[in-house]
Amino acid sequence: MLVLRPVQLTDLPQLQRLARESLVGVTSLPDDSERLRDKILDSCTSFEQNVQNPGPENYFFVLEDLTNRSLIGCSEILATAGFDEPFYSLRNRHFNSASRELNIEHGVPALSLCQDLSGHTLLRGFHIDGAWTGTAASELLSRARLLFIAAHAQRFCDTVITEIVGYSSDEGHSPFWDAVGKHFFDLPYVEAERLCGLESRAFLAELMPQYPIYVPMLPQAAQDCIGRIHPDGQEAFDILQREGFETNHYVDLFDGGPTLLARTGHIRSIAQSQTTQASPGAFIDARGRYLVSNDSLENFRVIIAELDYLPGKPVTLDAAMCAALKVTEGRQVRLIAL
Amino acid sequence: MIVRPAQVTDLPALLALVRLAGRGMTTLPADEERLNYRLRWAKRTFAEQVERADADYLFVLEDDDQQVVGVSAVAGAVGLREPWYNYRVGLTVSSSPDLGIQRHIPTLFLSNEMTGQSELRTLFLRPDQRLGSHGRLLSLSRLLFVAEFPSLFGDKLIAELRGSADEQGCSPFWDSVGRHFFQMDFSHADHLSGLGNKSFIAELMPRQPIYTCLLTEQAQAVIGKPHANSEAALKILSDEGFDHKGYIDIFDAGPVIEAPTSGIRTVRDSQLLDLAIGAPDEQAPLWLIHNRRLENCRITAARARQSGHSLVVDRLTAKRLQLRPGDSVRAVPLLKQQQQAVAA
Repeated sequence: MLVLRPVQLTDLPQLQRLARESLVGVTSLPDDSERLRDKILDSCTSFEQNVQNPGPENYFFVLEDLTNRSLIGCSEILATAGFDEPFYSLRNRHFNSASRELNIEHGVPALSLCQDLSGHTLLRGFHIDGAWTGTAASELLSRARLLFIAAHAQRFCDTVITEIVGYSSDEGHSPFWDAVGKHFFDLPYVEAERLCGLESRAFLAELMPQYPIYVPMLPQAAQDCIGRIHPDGQEAFDILQREGFETNHYVDLFDGGPTLLARTGHIRSIAQSQTTQASPGAFIDARGRYLVSNDSLENFRVIIAELDYLPGKPVTLDAAMCAALKVTEGRQVRLIAL
Repeated sequence: MIVRPAQVTDLPALLALVRLAGRGMTTLPADEERLNYRLRWAKRTFAEQVERADADYLFVLEDDDQQVVGVSAVAGAVGLREPWYNYRVGLTVSSSPDLGIQRHIPTLFLSNEMTGQSELRTLFLRPDQRLGSHGRLLSLSRLLFVAEFPSLFGDKLIAELRGSADEQGCSPFWDSVGRHFFQMDFSHADHLSGLGNKSFIAELMPRQPIYTCLLTEQAQAVIGKPHANSEAALKILSDEGFDHKGYIDIFDAGPVIEAPTSGIRTVRDSQLLDLAIGAPDEQAPLWLIHNRRLENCRITAARARQSGHSLVVDRLTAKRLQLRPGDSVRAVPLLKQQQQAVAA
């Protein structure tokens, strides 16, 4: 059985392995033990704190395979993007120009550096072991975060966003970076992403172009990357799109990858999940597959379960499920169909 | 050869001349109606019937057989009726001391800096006349005219030199910048601009600065570079103290050169002298001489000798200037001192 839970310091060695395998562009997962350790401690503090309004908290989750105690993935929620350090994106908007005399009217798209997405809750750091991609484990790893938000709404903002990794070649070249960022940063794409995960992001502000970048002036290969998803990011994108997230006119400033956005209350797993009481026992016929969370904070757990659930009735969970969720008779659980 | 104000009766000759010039002569299109209009306007300008904002001093170069072989002009002021745009080539520094990164990125800033300045424009000399000092006479006579009537002009004189383009008239700078905003080819935009139809520029131009590193390499390479055909004109004006201070044409990125009016050699060094008829030495230097008239302006280049407050010229020169001995002239050696030394 797979269970999603908050990270612990003892996870560090396994997390390092995951970080090494993670895709360039998943910048919140640095391959650096000190930084990872800091991230874990930071997450532990976030779970422990009594939070009434969203602040700088970062909730770091891991997905564990209980059969062999191995970690197969991780994901994060940053309560407020841009709280501690600026959160930059590129706004892709048309600059309209019209000449009545010449009967010309058209818009020229331009990318402008902005912090418009500050103040939103950010889903990030989604990474799953290659052997598990395309399975229900990905759904669990991604959507468990939404169940956490549903259970602890006061800790999060009204809007949730996420950045999907943009296109880069197998050799680590991003045509978008080569046409835009490289001119200002004087660094290869991979190195820039690495620094972003490692260092303070202050250098971004120092180096980023402050004036709009007119899209038609970019090479075609770079234009094609605007809003384009890295093949390995497609699954993460699809899962959240099914949740009601939509693309918009903001893209990542390094690789041009798209941003997804949804009103918190409208997200499917948040709006449609139901709470009920746990009822330990045995059942014969499973009617459907669900994501089940225990709605807890520090002991937050989410599993995938095949259940015989009728809305409005307590849900019967077998012993293994109860153990994984750390729930006993009568405790509240939250369900959403997988 | 003399330089004099263009007349309405010059229309046929001017039309023939402009047709020779072809592409690139955007401020003087081969269009009879437009040309006629411009000649009438020039006549009113020399008669002081228009404001500085509209003044268009159009000159022709005429040989002794009254054949018009060249044309040049100076505008009283640019940008006072419609906005006048240039790009200023500025610098953006992208720097992170912590990371040891510092990038210098030339950046184009849209500017109306030249508003109110006077513009030298519309210079064309028939190809078979491009010898001796004809080109210099045609160009510098405007400066001597400015020297005589400084109140009619701005604090600075500017000239927009044609930028780099290929044989087909395509400009790499246009293709990388303007084309995206105007959705037309360079020659068409340039044509519209030359017709005085400038409001479309304001309506369509990108308002925000442009990082040159995002342009094509070909476009970057021509920023501030004059067209091969403009190099002679550039040389003449550079010798006069004109300089490229970083402003360029917004369409083809050709350099805008400028000089403070009072600092231009011809303006600064010209003197008022009394005309005397005599026989200047065969070795005497060439002088640029103005008869100090406005409507009946005559300017020529001739060998002359300064003697006290007098300038000694031959009889033909006096006749060309429509002056008699004792009349006052404004004169300056045609070449800078060191150039004369080299010539000698």
